[in-house]
Amino acid sequence: MNAVTWAFTIVKFLLVFVPLVMIPFMIVMERKGASLIQDRFGPNRSMLPFFGGLRLFGMIQNGADGIKLFTKELIVPKFVHKWYYIAAPMIPFAVAIMTPALLPWFAPITFEQGGVLSRISGQVLDADAGLLVVFALSGLSVYGTVLGGWSSNSKYALLGGLRSSAMMISYEVSMGLSVMGLFLLVGSFRLSDIVAWQSHHVWGILVQPLSFVLYLVSLIAETGRAPFDVAEGEPEIVGHHLEYSAMRFGLFYMGEYVHIVLNSLLVATMFLGGYDLPILHTVGIQAHLGIVAAVILVIFGLSAFGLAVLMRRWIANYQKTNASDKADRRKEYNFMSAGLVVAGVLCFLLALLAAVFVHPEATTVGGELVYPLWASAGTAAVQFGVLFVKALIFCWVWVWVRWSLPRFRYDQVMSLGWKIFLNLALANLLVTAVIAKIVHGGN
Amino acid sequence: MTKVIERREMNAVEKIYVVEAAKGMALTMKHFFHGFFKPETLPTVAYPERKVDVPQDYRAHHRLMKRPDGEPRCVACFMCSTACPARCISIEASESKDGQIEKKPKKFEIDLLVCVFCGLCEEACPVDAIRMDTKKIAVVGDSRESFVRTKEDLLDWDPKDYPADDEQSQKAPGGRLNEEARRTSAEGTGH
Repeated sequence: MNAVTWAFTIVKFLLVFVPLVMIPFMIVMERKGASLIQDRFGPNRSMLPFFGGLRLFGMIQNGADGIKLFTKELIVPKFVHKWYYIAAPMIPFAVAIMTPALLPWFAPITFEQGGVLSRISGQVLDADAGLLVVFALSGLSVYGTVLGGWSSNSKYALLGGLRSSAMMISYEVSMGLSVMGLFLLVGSFRLSDIVAWQSHHVWGILVQPLSFVLYLVSLIAETGRAPFDVAEGEPEIVGHHLEYSAMRFGLFYMGEYVHIVLNSLLVATMFLGGYDLPILHTVGIQAHLGIVAAVILVIFGLSAFGLAVLMRRWIANYQKTNASDKADRRKEYNFMSAGLVVAGVLCFLLALLAAVFVHPEATTVGGELVYPLWASAGTAAVQFGVLFVKALIFCWVWVWVRWSLPRFRYDQVMSLGWKIFLNLALANLLVTAVIAKIVHGGN
Repeated sequence: MTKVIERREMNAVEKIYVVEAAKGMALTMKHFFHGFFKPETLPTVAYPERKVDVPQDYRAHHRLMKRPDGEPRCVACFMCSTACPARCISIEASESKDGQIEKKPKKFEIDLLVCVFCGLCEEACPVDAIRMDTKKIAVVGDSRESFVRTKEDLLDWDPKDYPADDEQSQKAPGGRLNEEARRTSAEGTGH
């Protein structure tokens, strides 16, 4: 392994922390999304003492919550089984850090160095078992809930743990069966193969729409969020984290968000083509890297300007009210919209530079078209961005579903899982198998 | 009287759940975009910085009305404290120097922690001396004593805060100065 390969390996290992880094953004998305859905404003009271109180769309509230959770007393009740009690919140978190190792972040890179072709795959571990490993790991994460419920030695926590284990068993079945149709078409469990198949043919959501819906709903159920949060069910039983306090409770809470990001990345990878950009694909991005980068930067710049315009409108309306903090808010919003405008202008300048100067030339090495290393790295970055945006859409779906639909009763969840989803998944598999046999023939 | 609510059976489409769930999701998304692009139309008010306008006849904190000479209109007749169901008004009377009025309050205290804001004092007053139109709906204090409003507190209000077209809310009939004013104006018409 040479220096370049090492550098890429380190970068891929760092990408494993993407779900962790996303936690604060997810919390902001959830809080602001929930409040806007309910016609509220969301967290806007915590502020830094600069520019008339900088609130950063509720991001400061995360810091305040974090400080609170970290400085609260870690209570270990006398009646708990101490070891499992302390280990339980760590399990979903540890699993969530392991799983991204299997996700393909970008297409395999081929580059030439000293006349020799090297290849770097887009994931840390390109396992043959691929998605089976992901399923195994996500099945493990329920141990956190079950152990937490059991070791708390409390009726209600135990009930929560039991419910979530029962739900894991029922939805893991339909989740596994629902994606079998996709495996049948692709002919491989490897996530890299699944993405490659989608970029050669069509996105998974178009060939397996039913499977997509079943998989998405099963994943929501597996995350244990509304409308499937019977494991928590605040009005009846508080759930598995009843006896937890301070940051141990915070770990459960953060594990939930890590899971959302992770599952969103998975759905995007399996049904929305993963890192693949339609029409262009990897070769297209490499050949027109400058133009693609310019288009992306222009989109960034335009959205920055749009946000700045929205903020100007908001502050103009606020100035008309009888509020007592008009001057402070004006300072804050002037600062933030100025930052956005600067960012937008920078984006436009970079887009111009990229469009004019970035034109990678391909060379033929050993009968293969090979682009220079920087072009491949740029393509990888673009593809990572594409995957990230697709995943963000699903992150929003998680928030949106939670704040729209009421919780199912426990028996409804069970009958939905066993009587409807399982049958639909099996029917989907059968139909896919028959069609695949007719279309492909042979094996 | 009992009202019987007919529980309608769900029809076939509603039983499938998916369509209704999609409708609900569309509704929440509509609310989200509405709040995102037009936050100024949301009903939420950033409370301590912004205050909603309280109606003029809202039963808020009390004030004592004044005569043109600045003395309280109150004649210490104890009607309000008699009418008060919470017994939060305590009055001590003293002799009035005004020739036409017999008594005036030496002490007039309202304990806001005891007051139920029913407005009966306002209705009981024969001389329109006590009103509850200050629009002050929040009160803050750090001890029980700090919630007791004295006569000086109740008289401490600004005429500019009250509607100018309502003459009664600024000055009052009766009293020595009014009497003099009435006499001088009568003399003026006599000329």
